[in-house]
Amino acid sequence: MVTGGLEGAGVFGEVTTRQAGDDDAVCGVRPRWVALPETVEEIAAVLRACAERDLAVVPAGGGTKLHWAPPPERCDVLLDLCCMNEVLEHAAGDLVVRAQAGVTIAALSAALAGEGQELALDVPFGEDATVGGTLAAPLPGPRAFRYGTARDLLIGITVVLPDGTVARSGGKVVKNVAGYDLGKLFTGSYGTLGVIAEATFRLHPMPPERRWVVAELGGARVPAVAAALAASQAEPSAVEVDRPDPAGPLTLAALVEGTAAQTRGETLRELIGPAEVSGEPPSWWGQVFGDDVLVEVRFPASGTAAVLDAAAGCGLSLRGSPVAGRVLLEPGRELDEDELAATVSGLREKVEAAGGRVSVLAAPCQGVDRWGHVSGLPLMRRVKERFDPGRRMSPGRFVGGI
Amino acid sequence: MSLDPELINDCVHCGFCLPTCPTYALWGEEMDSPRGRIHLMKQHVEGTPMTPEMAGHFDACLGCMACVTACPSGVRYDRLIEQTRVEVERQHVREPRERAVRGLVFSLFPYPRRLRLLRPGMWLAERLAPFLGRANPSLGAMAALAPRVEHRQRLPRVVRARGERRAVVGMLTGCVQGEFFPQVNAATARVLSLEGCDVVIPRGQGCCGALSVHSGLDGQARRLASRTVRVFERAGVDTVVVNAAGCGSSMKEYAELLGREPGFRVMDLSEYLAELGPVAKRHPLPVTVAYHDACHLAHAQGVRSQPRELLGAIPELELREIPESAICCGSAGTYNLLQPQAARDLGDRKAKAVGTTGAELLVSANPGCTMQIAAAMRRGGAEIRVAHTAEVLDASLRGVSL
Amino acid sequence: MDTLIAALRSLLPHDSVITDPVRLRTYECDGLTYHRATPGVVVLPGTAEQVARVVRLCNDFGVPFVARGSGTGLSGGALPREDGVLIVTSRMRAILEVDLADRRAVVEPGVTNLAITEAVRDRGYYYAPDPSSQQICSIGGNVAENSGGAHCLKYGFTVNHVEACEIVTPDGDLVTLDRMDPGYDLLGAFIGSEGTLGIATKITVRLCRAPEAVTTVLAAFESIEQGGQAVSAIIGAGIVPAAIEMMDALAIEAAEAAVACSYPEGAGAVLIVELDGPAAEVERQFAQLEEICSAAFELRVAADPAERAAIWKGRKSAFAAVGRISPAYIVQDGVVPRTSLPAVLAAIDRLSAEHDIKVANVFHAGDGNLHPLVLFDDGDPGAGERAEVVSGAILDLCIEHGGSITGEHGVGVDKSRYMPKMFSADDLDTMQLVRCAFDPQGLANPGKVFPTPRLCGEVPGVRKGVHPLVESGKADQL
Repeated sequence: MVTGGLEGAGVFGEVTTRQAGDDDAVCGVRPRWVALPETVEEIAAVLRACAERDLAVVPAGGGTKLHWAPPPERCDVLLDLCCMNEVLEHAAGDLVVRAQAGVTIAALSAALAGEGQELALDVPFGEDATVGGTLAAPLPGPRAFRYGTARDLLIGITVVLPDGTVARSGGKVVKNVAGYDLGKLFTGSYGTLGVIAEATFRLHPMPPERRWVVAELGGARVPAVAAALAASQAEPSAVEVDRPDPAGPLTLAALVEGTAAQTRGETLRELIGPAEVSGEPPSWWGQVFGDDVLVEVRFPASGTAAVLDAAAGCGLSLRGSPVAGRVLLEPGRELDEDELAATVSGLREKVEAAGGRVSVLAAPCQGVDRWGHVSGLPLMRRVKERFDPGRRMSPGRFVGGI
Repeated sequence: MSLDPELINDCVHCGFCLPTCPTYALWGEEMDSPRGRIHLMKQHVEGTPMTPEMAGHFDACLGCMACVTACPSGVRYDRLIEQTRVEVERQHVREPRERAVRGLVFSLFPYPRRLRLLRPGMWLAERLAPFLGRANPSLGAMAALAPRVEHRQRLPRVVRARGERRAVVGMLTGCVQGEFFPQVNAATARVLSLEGCDVVIPRGQGCCGALSVHSGLDGQARRLASRTVRVFERAGVDTVVVNAAGCGSSMKEYAELLGREPGFRVMDLSEYLAELGPVAKRHPLPVTVAYHDACHLAHAQGVRSQPRELLGAIPELELREIPESAICCGSAGTYNLLQPQAARDLGDRKAKAVGTTGAELLVSANPGCTMQIAAAMRRGGAEIRVAHTAEVLDASLRGVSL
Repeated sequence: MDTLIAALRSLLPHDSVITDPVRLRTYECDGLTYHRATPGVVVLPGTAEQVARVVRLCNDFGVPFVARGSGTGLSGGALPREDGVLIVTSRMRAILEVDLADRRAVVEPGVTNLAITEAVRDRGYYYAPDPSSQQICSIGGNVAENSGGAHCLKYGFTVNHVEACEIVTPDGDLVTLDRMDPGYDLLGAFIGSEGTLGIATKITVRLCRAPEAVTTVLAAFESIEQGGQAVSAIIGAGIVPAAIEMMDALAIEAAEAAVACSYPEGAGAVLIVELDGPAAEVERQFAQLEEICSAAFELRVAADPAERAAIWKGRKSAFAAVGRISPAYIVQDGVVPRTSLPAVLAAIDRLSAEHDIKVANVFHAGDGNLHPLVLFDDGDPGAGERAEVVSGAILDLCIEHGGSITGEHGVGVDKSRYMPKMFSADDLDTMQLVRCAFDPQGLANPGKVFPTPRLCGEVPGVRKGVHPLVESGKADQL
């Protein structure tokens, strides 16, 4: 079924397709069509058709992070996965769920909560963000400290390659070492290798209790307190800090989950000092407020002090985990292209000296070095070349212009 | 062919023996591990001739039996390597230089009287060591290890029990022990007597045959063993207490060597004392002790806890564990004479491990070990006092300092 | 080969190149002795740079290479090539750095799994993945196989605990793959690739804080069904124990014969459940566990580390122990969804009866990872073949129930023939794209994981006509 004008008629056979409008632009690049496949086979049909005509494709889920990463070199088709919205199988006894890529995190969570289970990822924009988008452009949340990131919880994946080949790897059992783990490769690939169609995750039982220990803290105390919390046998699931004003006060919050959470929370409080133990998270917990410009810093725990200083020195607000070694930074005011480039390179110099890495997740301009040095880049190019020799999948949106 | 293919087939090639093997620890080569040597034995049994390379790998085995302890399948490597050594002696023609050294060692060590002739020259040996080392590493090693011998104490034929007599035991004086470490034998006799034993020390006992067994000299071994059995059977004791680990382990295997059960049981001193239970008062010994597991005690006889318990029961004595305790120190009977470089490397490794304990006193049940480790520590610029378990107990029981 | 050997000798110290045929043969197999091949030459490099040079040389000569750590693998992943170089990392065993502030250690590939824990245990840390062979298996091998262990139910696998790897790529470049770096997760793809994407030469692992409390429970049930129900109930109650292990009557019998572990007499199945974490949490979970295991006729709780070791002893010795009740056996490794365990175990029973072959079951019940030990008498003609049939049928069962042909031993050379049963030709072709990106010449551990050698020069994904290798009769088309 093709709608929306003669130009697209029959391009993708039976797949619902419409002509793109201005709202469909990806970082200002307007596609010609928006295809809305409803099955894996339909995704394959679209990609095959694109391969035949050399059309460039950008896959999209909820579109919450579509403006992250550089604009595509070209974009003929926006592959909107919103219709792939079925939770295919929730094997509660096996703590496993299989879902289509377009299922929103909110819908998935609701389905799992019915059985007292959860996918232990703290996904921002969860109302709109989808399973596929969460994998393609993952953002570690607070509890990554305990449960790992999306790639650690993904146990099986179905992808469609640019030539329409449908491939699966992993499966629906947690313990499985048969074959290469394509899920790892596609997680964080920003749509440049193919389309994520379905995913299977390992789940965790919903903890019976949660407590947050929240305190205002001098920045200088963060490294020591974070180290003590990370080493605590009360086993916090997450430790986050929030400093909205680079020169302002800093709030630290630690989460304990499971049984005896109150007692364990109190144990943590002793490590922190004056703090409140609460059943509710602070309002900023796991949130991303503005993402016109968003900078991610990853660092070893020993680099915490340097990262805090560097962020303050560069005038960037900071939120994230000193124990997992990952924070998100945002400029406090609008910066022009040159200012942003200078800020990023200044930050990068300081962070890399402390053993960390700086990635610019989102920026509205071209003149910024988004990724810095990427050591495996030649290998990554070779992977891209094998998977997408025609450079049709989100071209130019990833490291090194991949 | 003296090798038993059935014993070889017990090995399932799991590799659990590798980390405990001293030569594997040194060189990291398969054919210098128990698993690799068993594989070589298999090759030989299946028709591969005894090549010099093959013989070299068997010769390099210290016979420490750590692999026997580690093996989950119960492979009798101890028997296998003894059978193999016989095979090596039978088939392998050694180079003249090597033959000369081996000839010297085996015509000297098992014979106390010949050893006694050597003693006045010990001071000279020490000074000559560097020169001898240049001429032949084995001779150098022999000289460097030479102990400074205390005045020989002639032990009576019977040492009577102090207080109530609880048992009558025989005592092996051994060849190396008796000649170079007479104080250890004296201490052993005193400890046994203080714990209520009549100690029978028959004249005419010599080497128990251990050195020959471990080197594949079948005939010599049997001759020496028969004599030892005769001497103790004539003495009429039902238990023979042994304070040298290497002798104890060989004597426990007399039945296999001679094809008949001797008329007495063989026990290590610490094993016997633990079974007997303490009656004598322990006086405090304020000293930090690193206890070294002699291979022939820990691995060949399975005696690990008893010496630790005995030492630990001495008031104010602090016992420290040596890292990598299962790995041989490189002394291994005549090994340090026949394979000087490997023995030296293992000694250095062990000395380092002992050094990390910070202990003042190194204790083991085998003078060969303590000699070897003390020499290695001296090389490394550290000094440590050494003692036999018996000497420490003796000091505590008598209330004198070490 | 002779020119290559001469070139290797000029690169490496004299004692690092092994060519003597008697010595070479000791490297003919790893922990799986069923497959054997004497390597063309063995090298024992001491540094990453040496590994890279050897690999570059292999490229120059077009000769395949295979990496080997301690040689304990159970799928023949380190099976040498007669026409190739075996690169053994057992001399690269330095722990380069331990940084507790960053909770990580940097080690060379030959370092044993347990050595890492031993280096930090005193300070209250440990390295979490714990394969049964942890005292000897090397970290390099763990990375290649993505090793798990009894405690991976709660703590995950090697891939979840490795932060970075320096690797020598199949064309001989030294590249660092770091979780912190942006870009594709090549580290994730590399781990578990069984030596087909290169050789790890330096590994940064994450260290975990030792838990405050550990409670190990041995529950004895009259039947395996009761044990299975208890497992489901534990998971259903929202408890994630560190480990849940099960052994059936035959496996218990073997363990008793080998190590006299004194498990409760008359048990049809025993369950070992280990709870760890904050003391308060472990205490409450233990109370829940007691209730759940009410069907058990005996419940033993380890009071101290020695008692815990005693409980684990029977389980950990199980593989080697089976040698005491059977002259020969096959260790199988398959996975099924936990909820399928009862059905699969019943089916294994039927297979066992049908083919007159005994099967002892030892498994990581918590994650459905079966290790059936298929017992046979190699002196009995035909028994070996029947055991093979049963062993293969068990894997078919795993696939049928949506599981996997291997949970931790890897595919290696042993199971590559089952790969087309678990994956479609397109799945395997797609994995092959990764292979070709890393190793276009196909020199890194060829013949492992994938059933058919193939060339990397084709347009990926689109199969055109007959493959040249197939045409020449050297390979079968997938």
